[in-house]
Amino acid sequence: MRLLLAIQCFVKVLFDSSFGDKVRQLTEGDAVPSSPQPKAPEVSPSPPPGRSEAIALVAALQREARFVDLVTESLDGYSDAQIGAAAREVLSNCGKVLDRVFALRPVAEVAEGESMQVPAEYDTGRVRITGNVSQQPPFSGKLVHAGWAATQCELSSWTGSAAAALVVAPAEVEVG
Amino acid sequence: MNAKYVIGIDLGTTNSVVSYVALDAENPTVELLSLPQLVAPSTIEQRDALPSFLYLAPQHEAESGALDVPWDQGRQYCVGEHARRQGAEMPDRTVAAAKSWLCHSRVDRRQPLLPFGASSEVDTISPVMASQRYLEHLIECWDAKFPESPIHEQQVVLTVPASFDAAARELTREAARAAGLPADLVLLEEPQAALYAWLAERGDAWREDLSAGDRLLVCDVGGGTTDLTLIDVVDEQGELELRRLAVGDHLLVGGDNMDLTLAHGVAELFADEGVKLDAWQSVSLWHACRDAKEALLSHDAPESHRVSVLGRGSKVIGGTVSVDVPRELAADLLVSGFFPECELGDKPQRRRASGFQELGLPFESDVAITRHLAAFLTAHTKGESKANYPTHLLFNGGVFKADALRQLVISTLGGWLPEQHSVKELPGQRDLDFAVARGAAFYGRMKHHGGMRIRGGTARSYYVGIETAGLAIPGVPRPLRALCVVPFGMEEGTEVEVPSGEIGVVIGEPVHFRFFSSAVRSHDQPGCVLPQIDEEELDETDSLETVLEAGDGSEETYVPVRFLAKITELGVFELWCVSTSSDHRWKLEFSIRDEAPDRAQV
Repeated sequence: MRLLLAIQCFVKVLFDSSFGDKVRQLTEGDAVPSSPQPKAPEVSPSPPPGRSEAIALVAALQREARFVDLVTESLDGYSDAQIGAAAREVLSNCGKVLDRVFALRPVAEVAEGESMQVPAEYDTGRVRITGNVSQQPPFSGKLVHAGWAATQCELSSWTGSAAAALVVAPAEVEVG
Repeated sequence: MNAKYVIGIDLGTTNSVVSYVALDAENPTVELLSLPQLVAPSTIEQRDALPSFLYLAPQHEAESGALDVPWDQGRQYCVGEHARRQGAEMPDRTVAAAKSWLCHSRVDRRQPLLPFGASSEVDTISPVMASQRYLEHLIECWDAKFPESPIHEQQVVLTVPASFDAAARELTREAARAAGLPADLVLLEEPQAALYAWLAERGDAWREDLSAGDRLLVCDVGGGTTDLTLIDVVDEQGELELRRLAVGDHLLVGGDNMDLTLAHGVAELFADEGVKLDAWQSVSLWHACRDAKEALLSHDAPESHRVSVLGRGSKVIGGTVSVDVPRELAADLLVSGFFPECELGDKPQRRRASGFQELGLPFESDVAITRHLAAFLTAHTKGESKANYPTHLLFNGGVFKADALRQLVISTLGGWLPEQHSVKELPGQRDLDFAVARGAAFYGRMKHHGGMRIRGGTARSYYVGIETAGLAIPGVPRPLRALCVVPFGMEEGTEVEVPSGEIGVVIGEPVHFRFFSSAVRSHDQPGCVLPQIDEEELDETDSLETVLEAGDGSEETYVPVRFLAKITELGVFELWCVSTSSDHRWKLEFSIRDEAPDRAQV
């Protein structure tokens, strides 16, 4: 089961720096010390519980843009103007959060509506071809949507308790 | 010296930024250090700037670990974005604008004064300590990212306002050293750093943008302060050189004042519609007004901009109130309030101090930046022809993201110039938020490798107060004269013996000298004595003190001394008392405490 071992090693090298150092020594041909040096105890004895990145993103959208409040509120009984007033504020702040976290850029560099060449060896993950697609690439067509791609993924990390890891926004109590 | 990097730190009044560049890279690029910080309890995000706010948590919160950072557990405080947000809801526990307190010489900046007016339950901290906390966080961010190259082994350039006097610089250095920055830390004036960032961006092209005889105004309006600097372009043996001519006074007015002013105006619009905003909503309104300011003061500003304040509870739509803010209102409040048209001869309006002034920050009583600008230019071009007014402008600070404000400064300045003269903005990209930090790193690299430097020396002249001898009159203080000890523009790495009559000081007792500086008396030479202290021209700063110990067991109780003034290579100001009868010398230190009576006599 070398495949399983390789995957386990990959994960461990990524997250455990001392393991990574040992692997480096192995690959560079140095002898691994048979008995590892007694290491000073780590600052945090147990690793932080961590939090789902999806929760981290929703929490950021709620904290900075009140996203969850907006989409969970019933729209019945509000006029379009009332909804618009709240949405304008919320949407603009959601945009700021997404920009900071993902720095989104269009996939295609052409303006929408213009014609675009799709080369023979195009990445089907980056470009989707629609319409009357019968022949082999390359194609020439009209760009209908420029697409979006993240250029980074900078989500917050979590140092809190496992119990609070699912909290998107804490309850707020004003004292006095 | 094992330094691999030059690190530029912009320790701002409202935001701090760190940049760095490798010392030996072929094609160096200045990078921003990303600064992990708490943005909410237990939530750490990477940001380019660290808001200069400090939140002092109640004990139970600290014990819960909510303010832990990866390198420290059980923290009692936090700095950065979370602290800034806490400021809105818990102002009593949040320190803001610590940097403005550093140059407030009427209070003891080593005393725990902040948050100002906090209740006795809060463990207040001193302005110096708050600055130290911000710097510690920046250092921890660096050391976490570059464990192989700890910051104390690197070259560090820390920026300070050009208007900081010697005492405020010394306190900044004290906080920096205590935080763990290296001893050979260099302080650089912020407007100069902004210009270095421009030079870095332009490369050699700057020699085409500027020519000998040009005069450049750096107009830096940050969140809380305004800093003005004039820089001359001179021809030095065929090579263009930059010389810093003058710096303005420390002005406590900035972008935050503008946002708040607009917020007050908008709150009245809400009140007209019968909507009363609570404290929490007022703070969100303040933030919303920053965007409104930029929108309403842009080139193609709409007639009005809708400002909405969301409800506090989870019913966000139902709780939202909004109002249309007409462009005229913003123009009226911000343009005529902060950038009114004025004549070159106008002076900022001073409100007479009541004598019972609260000890809080001495905010400007006149917020008109154009009037301060007029007074600054008038003070520094005295006796020169009008052709010596600025030819070029460099803007810095987030306020100038609003196009209209840049245009206003350019056109106001243009209106003061004689005909056929004009002033134009320096070409190139604007980097209003990060230029100071980037410029600092670029400067440090040039200092190391050689390259274009702005020359200038001290931005102020300095004076020691000397009591005149004579018969004492009960109840009347002895008249005080001011002896110039450091001339304007004294270069780093030089010293000057101050010619004066002998000054007698008592051995074994603390000696205090009252100490003054001037940003406008640029022609006084060391030894020059001003017969009286003119408060319009001289600002009193912290007094200097020392205890003179007799070194050789001599019986003398009274030593005649003269002064020796030094500006070290690192830009540190030192004043020494040198005995004229022996080899002894004593260094004077800033006494950041309350003024003590002057014991020295001529």
